Amino acid sequence: MSRTVITLGPRQLGLEEPMYFRVQTEGDRVCGLEVLAGQVHRGMEHLTLKRNFYQNITLLERLCSLCSNSHPSTFCTALEELAGMVIPPRAEYLRAVADEIKRIASHLFNCAVVAHIVGEHTLFRRVMELREIVQQSKETIYGNRMDLAANCIGGVRYDPDAGAIDYLKNQLERLKSPLEELYRVFEDAAVLRAATEGVGVLTREQANEFGVVGPVARAAGIDYDVRKKSPYGAYDRLSFQVAIEGAGDVRARALVRLAEARQAVSLIEQCLDQLPNGPVALASFPEVPAGEVIAKSEAPRGELIYYLKTDGTDLPVRLKWRVPSYPNWAALGEMLKGEPVSRIPLIVNSIDPCISCTDR
Amino acid sequence: MHTCKVPPAPKLRLYRINTGSCNGCDVELAATEALTRFGLERLGLSFTADPTQADLVLITGPLTVRSKGKVLAEYAQVPDPKITVLIGVCPISGGAFRDSYAVLGPLDEFLAADVNIPGCPPRPEAIVAGIAEAARLWRGGEGPQLAPAGFPAPANLRGRMSYRAEACVGCRMCQHVCAGGAIRFEEQEAGVSFTLWHNSCLFCGMCSHYCPTGALTPTGEWNLAHPQAQKYQMVEQGVVPRISCSCCGVPMLPVVPELMRKGYRALTRETAQLQTLCSECRQVRSIGGLQRCTK
Ligand code: SF4
Ligand code: SF4
Repeated sequence: MSRTVITLGPRQLGLEEPMYFRVQTEGDRVCGLEVLAGQVHRGMEHLTLKRNFYQNITLLERLCSLCSNSHPSTFCTALEELAGMVIPPRAEYLRAVADEIKRIASHLFNCAVVAHIVGEHTLFRRVMELREIVQQSKETIYGNRMDLAANCIGGVRYDPDAGAIDYLKNQLERLKSPLEELYRVFEDAAVLRAATEGVGVLTREQANEFGVVGPVARAAGIDYDVRKKSPYGAYDRLSFQVAIEGAGDVRARALVRLAEARQAVSLIEQCLDQLPNGPVALASFPEVPAGEVIAKSEAPRGELIYYLKTDGTDLPVRLKWRVPSYPNWAALGEMLKGEPVSRIPLIVNSIDPCISCTDR
Repeated sequence: MHTCKVPPAPKLRLYRINTGSCNGCDVELAATEALTRFGLERLGLSFTADPTQADLVLITGPLTVRSKGKVLAEYAQVPDPKITVLIGVCPISGGAFRDSYAVLGPLDEFLAADVNIPGCPPRPEAIVAGIAEAARLWRGGEGPQLAPAGFPAPANLRGRMSYRAEACVGCRMCQHVCAGGAIRFEEQEAGVSFTLWHNSCLFCGMCSHYCPTGALTPTGEWNLAHPQAQKYQMVEQGVVPRISCSCCGVPMLPVVPELMRKGYRALTRETAQLQTLCSECRQVRSIGGLQRCTK
């Protein structure tokens, strides 16, 4: 059979961000993959060293807009750890609220993209409409639909009053049955099932081998979620079950995300119900001493690790990330092997890749 | 086929280019495209995946060194005349990513921009307003006016930042915390001048959060789309005038009531007097006061 090499760009891949693939094919099947990254390289490591801690909170929120809250919240956690700060309990809960609301929006966006790629345009619009409830809520509570600016060193920058809490609870209520319905559609609808079941499989063994994280790992049966394994912030006081599937295919990944979106609704509700009174941030903060620290969290795409080194000034000496998309990209080659070329966009989007995190 | 009253004008096609964004503007653009409520269709606009078919080009992201070749080649494929819209502060000024070795922006150094839509990211309503402006330009200033669509802006929207020189003490904390490099202070004879450039502002509200006197506040104003000619007029400005110390005459910045209220809990005739004293005279006055008390 003839071997050819084709190059695919963002448009053929169905991506919002510029990423290029060099794909080796045999007939109409994929037999090899090379990811040509770097288009979105903005020199983030270099930039973070030129910005002080305050500026970095805003800059890091722009490392990737879909996981945008996970970055500043994990960065602030790292700084607080170094400075020995204990943030007020109310702030811990409010950080979780911000993280979970972003998780719902992120997962729904991916779910919409998957629907679009399999040709379910009505479903695509429906999911985007549903997502608007979340977008609208973020804009109302935080003041922007994508970048929440919720975090500061020592706590959070927002303090919802009773009215805001009621509003948010109401919005969550509006999400519940459509989210359940959506889960059922991805689980059972014949067209979706046919398009996603058994497609782009990553076995549990392969998942382990590649060290994939987040919904990609959990869809392959790996029980790993930072919120459970090493709870941070308020998560040790919140009850939820790690969403697990076993098939490791496109369908399983979608189902994990939809289960997590539903769970996130419940997590926010728990936060709002348990929300302690008191300040949302420390009134002042001690100097951040010289030191090294690692902080991690469960971003929408999986485990996010921050490494921070300081020297006693308010500029970092080193800031480094292990972003969830990174190991997931590597495993893509396995998922695509033997699949028809026409399925590439679907399988690529099933890992919900983030290029701005990967390239940064 | 559904019929629609407006517009008689021919459909315009939009083509998107991402030059290396954080994807915030792109995800919002995707929502703007997908949802009829934002009203792009009603303006007679639709998206195309073929640059040679496009009339309007929408650009997001700061131009990265790596993406430059592809971006400019793609841009060149869009036939002239075309209208170019820069979405988000990234392509307009470099935004959060300015002065990185890997970023080349602003885009107008490489191509002719027509309309800028500041924001980080701008809300879909703002994106539509900017695109509507671009469509009007394309049609020679004619075309349907923008009908308000989408969601009404919530009360605590982080829109255009507003500055009150009367409340500013010139401490420059805002400049220190600003990741966008949007704030500049300049020492002038008359006083300290403050400039905030909305085309570099990330609308993060850090400046207002850390401002000790409330001189900076976010407004709900979100429609900041403007023609390229106005790019450098999109500023917030003010001068904190220097006064002479009412005791020794040395030039100084007045102590604003907001700060006096913080320091002294309430404003009285005495605190009003202290406001016009330089720090040294204030010290003397306070010590003098103390001596009076212990006499
Ligand atoms: S303007 Fe802001 S939201 Fe838009 S791409 Fe740039 S950093 Fe992201
Ligand atoms: S809101 Fe304030 S701190 Fe944030 S970028 Fe704009 S001027 Fe700078």
